[in-house]
Amino acid sequence: MRNIMKISVVYCLFMAFLLSGCSKQDTKVVNVLNWSSYIPDSVIRSFEKETGIQVNYSTYSSNEECLAKVSSAKKGTYDLIFPSDYMIEIMIKREMLELLDQTQLQNVGNLDTFYLNQSFDPGNRYSLPFVMASTVIAVNRDYISDEIISYQDLLNEKYYNNITLIDDQRIIIGMALLANGYDMNTTDEEALEVAKDWLLQLKPNIKAFDSDSPKNFLVTEEADIAVLWNAEAALAYQENNNIEFIYPKEGSALSMDNFAIPKGAKHQSEAYQFIDYILRADVMKKIIESYPYKNVNQATQTLLGTDYLYNIASNIPASIIESGFYVENIGESVKLYDKLWAEIK
Amino acid sequence: MNSKKLWKFFFICPVIIYVSLLIALPLIYILLISFFQSDYYGGMISTFTIQNYIDVFDQVYISVFLKSIFIAGITTFICILISYPFVLAISHKKPRTQKILMTLVMVPFLTNSLIRMYGWLVLLRKSGVINQVLMGLGVIQEPLSLMYNMIGIIIGMVYTLLPFMILPLYSSVSTVDPYLLEASSDLGASKMKTFFKIIVPQTLPGLFNGSLMVFTPALGYFFIVDILGGGKMMILGNLIKNQFLTARNWPFGAAISIVLVLITSLVIIAYRKLGGKMEDLGGA
Amino acid sequence: MKKIGENLYLVLIFVFLFLPILVLILFSFNTSSLNIIFEGFTLHWYYDLFQNSTLLESLFNTLIVAGVSTVVSTVIGTISAYGLYKYSFKGKNIVNELLYIPVVIPEIVLGISLLSVYTLLQLELGLFTLILAHICFCIPFVIISVRSVLEGIDSHISEAASDLGASRFQIFTKIIIPMLMPGILSGAQLALTLSLDDVVISYFTAGPGANTLPLQVYSMIKTGITPDVNALITIMLCFVFVLLMVSTVVQLRRLKKEVSL
Repeated sequence: MRNIMKISVVYCLFMAFLLSGCSKQDTKVVNVLNWSSYIPDSVIRSFEKETGIQVNYSTYSSNEECLAKVSSAKKGTYDLIFPSDYMIEIMIKREMLELLDQTQLQNVGNLDTFYLNQSFDPGNRYSLPFVMASTVIAVNRDYISDEIISYQDLLNEKYYNNITLIDDQRIIIGMALLANGYDMNTTDEEALEVAKDWLLQLKPNIKAFDSDSPKNFLVTEEADIAVLWNAEAALAYQENNNIEFIYPKEGSALSMDNFAIPKGAKHQSEAYQFIDYILRADVMKKIIESYPYKNVNQATQTLLGTDYLYNIASNIPASIIESGFYVENIGESVKLYDKLWAEIK
Repeated sequence: MNSKKLWKFFFICPVIIYVSLLIALPLIYILLISFFQSDYYGGMISTFTIQNYIDVFDQVYISVFLKSIFIAGITTFICILISYPFVLAISHKKPRTQKILMTLVMVPFLTNSLIRMYGWLVLLRKSGVINQVLMGLGVIQEPLSLMYNMIGIIIGMVYTLLPFMILPLYSSVSTVDPYLLEASSDLGASKMKTFFKIIVPQTLPGLFNGSLMVFTPALGYFFIVDILGGGKMMILGNLIKNQFLTARNWPFGAAISIVLVLITSLVIIAYRKLGGKMEDLGGA
Repeated sequence: MKKIGENLYLVLIFVFLFLPILVLILFSFNTSSLNIIFEGFTLHWYYDLFQNSTLLESLFNTLIVAGVSTVVSTVIGTISAYGLYKYSFKGKNIVNELLYIPVVIPEIVLGISLLSVYTLLQLELGLFTLILAHICFCIPFVIISVRSVLEGIDSHISEAASDLGASRFQIFTKIIIPMLMPGILSGAQLALTLSLDDVVISYFTAGPGANTLPLQVYSMIKTGITPDVNALITIMLCFVFVLLMVSTVVQLRRLKKEVSL
C-alpha cells in the first residue's frame, strides 16, 4: 500500500511539474499577429510600459499565412490581426471577424477619410486602415545604368542572377500578368499560361524570392534590382542613396493593411487599447519612421519630415495609387495560381 | 487491484497513452483528411474523395518529388564520402582522444540548426566571408555564387545532416576487429581492397542506418532551401508547408505527406531487408 | 605520412563543422552591424542584448521548452523502456513498431500531423503544445537508449534483491535505475540536443507567447539580423560547451576506471 502512495505522489509531482512549466500567470495580455517588419519593438515596449498589458507578438509573411494561422488556431487565440484588403473580404465572408466598435477608439478621427470606406469593407464595419503599400522596382544605380520603365525591361539578359522578388504568388504572378497586358486578377487559364512562360523566361535573372525583406539583398549588393514593397525600398535607400525607385508603366500592386479583430478574440478590450495607441499621431509617426509605408493617418502626416514626404518610395504619389491594382479574392481559382507557383519554382 | 497489477499499470500506461495520443492519432487523422475535400478557403468537407492523390501525380508535383529525392540522394552520398575517412581516422586514435573528438562533433549540434544556417549565410553570400577572403588573397576576381542556388542547398543539407552519418558509422567502425585489418594487410591486400572487402561489409549496418537518418529528413528541411536556396527551389518540405500554411489546402498537404510516409516506409523496408535493425536507429 | 594526412583531414572536417559558429561568434564583437566586414572590437551588442526583451524572452522560452521536454521525456522514456522490457501485454508489438515512427518519419509530417490534431482538439497553440510536440519526438530516443542498456543487465540481481525482501519500489529505485543510469543520461542528452536543434516541428506547433530562439531567428533572417543575436548565440554556445565538457570529463573518468579495472 505504501508503494502505491509513493507512486501516486511521484505521478502527482510529475504532473505538477508538467503544468508549472506551461502555465503562465494571468496578467493582461494581447496576442497580436502581424506582418514581419511592421511595428518596431520600441513601440510595443512603450505600449506595454504605458498600459501594463503584455504583448505577445507573432508574425506572418503573407495574407494566406495569416488566414491559415487564425483558422487553424483555437478560436480566440489571436486578438488583433493586420490582413490586407482582399483578405478582409474573405474573412468577412467566412465570418471570421468581429464587428469593430469605433466608439472604443478615441483616436479614430485621426485617420484620413480618403482611405476609409473601401470596397472590401464598406463603412469600415470590420476593419480600419493601418498603412498602405505598393510594389516598386528598386535599382542600384551604382551598377545598373539602363533605363527601366516596364516590367518587360527586367527580362534583359544582362541582369542574370541579379533580381530579387517578393515571395508572394499573387503579387509576382500578378506582375507577370500586368507585364503582358492582362488583368492582375485574371483567372483565365490562357493568360496564366502566358504569365508562366514569362516568369520562366525571367527565372534565370532571379537571384531569390524573399517575402520579408528583399531590401537586404540590395543593401548587401547581393542583387542590384528588386521588386519589393515601397517601405523596404525606402529603407534600402537610407543605406544607399544610389538606389532609385521606379513605378513601372503597367501599374503597381497595391495593398492596404488593416486592423481587424478575429471572431471570439479573448482580449478584445486590450486589442482596442492597442489599436487606439497606434492610431495616436506620435505613435504612428514612430512606426512610419521605422517602416516608411504610405501613411493613412492625417494627424501623423503633419508631423512627418521632408525625408518622408518627398521620397516617392515612402509617400506613394496619388497618381500611382490611382493607376495601381489591388489583389482581389478569386475564390477557388487560387488553386491555379498555386500550381503555377510550384511550376515556376 | 493488487499491487502487482498496479505496477504493471504504472510501467505500461504512459507508453500506451503516448503512442496512441501523440503518434497513432495524429497519423490516422492525417490519413483521414487526405481523403477529404478542401473547400473554398481553407475549410475541409468530410466527403470521401481520392482527388487529392490524383493531384499528387500531376507532372508539376512529380517533379517536386524527383527534385527532393535528387537533393536528398546527393546529400546522403556526400555525407558517406565525407564520413568514412573521418570515422576511420578517428578510430585510429586513443580511446580518450576518440571520446573527445566525438564530443566535439556534437558541439555545433547544440546550437540550433537554423542558427548554423544563418552562419552559413554570413559565410557564403556574395559579400560574405569566404568570397572576401578569396578575393583578398587574389584567388578569384569576381565573387563566387555559393548560395541562392543548388550549391548552397547541398552545403546546408550536408552540414546539418553530417553528424547523423558520422555517429552510426563511428559506432559500427569501432566494432571492426583490428586483427582482421592487420591480417588483410599482412596478406598483401591493398588499402583500397581492405576498405572495400573488409571495412565496408563490416560497417554496412552503420552505413544503412546513417543513410536512412540523412535521407529522410533531407526530404523535408524546407528552411534550408528557403534560406540558402533563396526560395527558388521547392522540395517536398516547402510543398507541404505551403499547403498547410499558405494555400490552405490541408487535404492535399495531407495527401502529399502520406505519399512521403510511403516513400519513407519503402526506404525502411529496404533497410530491414538489408539486415538493418530498427533499434539501431536513433541510438547514437 | 599517413598520420599527417589523416590529421589534416580531421582538422578540415572540424573546421567545416565549426566555421559557421565561429563566424557568428566573431561578428558578435564587430562594431559594424551588417555582419559583412570585421571593422573593430566592441562589446556593444552584449549590452544591446540585455535591453532586447523579445530576444531574451525567446531564449528563456527555448530553455524552458528544452528543459521541460528533456525531463519529461526522460522520465516517461525510462519507465516505458522498463515496462516494455519487463511486461508483455496485448498489442505490445504494435506499440514497439509505432515507437520508431518519430525517429524515421520526416519531421515535417510529424509537425503537420500534430498541428492538425491540435486544431481538431481545439488546443490553444502556445508553450504547452510546443512542449508536447518536443516530448513526442524525444521519448523514442530515450527509450531506445535505455533499452540498449536494459538488454545487458543481469536479471538475477533483481531476483536476488526480491528474495532478500526488497520491495518492488526499492528494486526499481535502488537497483534498476542506477544500473540504467548510463542509458538514461545518454538518452537525456540526446533529448536535449534534439529539442535545442529542432526547427521544423517547432515551426508548426508554436503559437503566440511561445516564440523560441529558432523561430525568432527565422523571422529575423528575413528582416535582417542584428548582431545582438550573435551575442546571444555566443553566450548560449559557451553555456552548452561547458555543459558538454563537464559531461565528457565525467564519461572520461568512467572510461579510465573501466580501463584500470
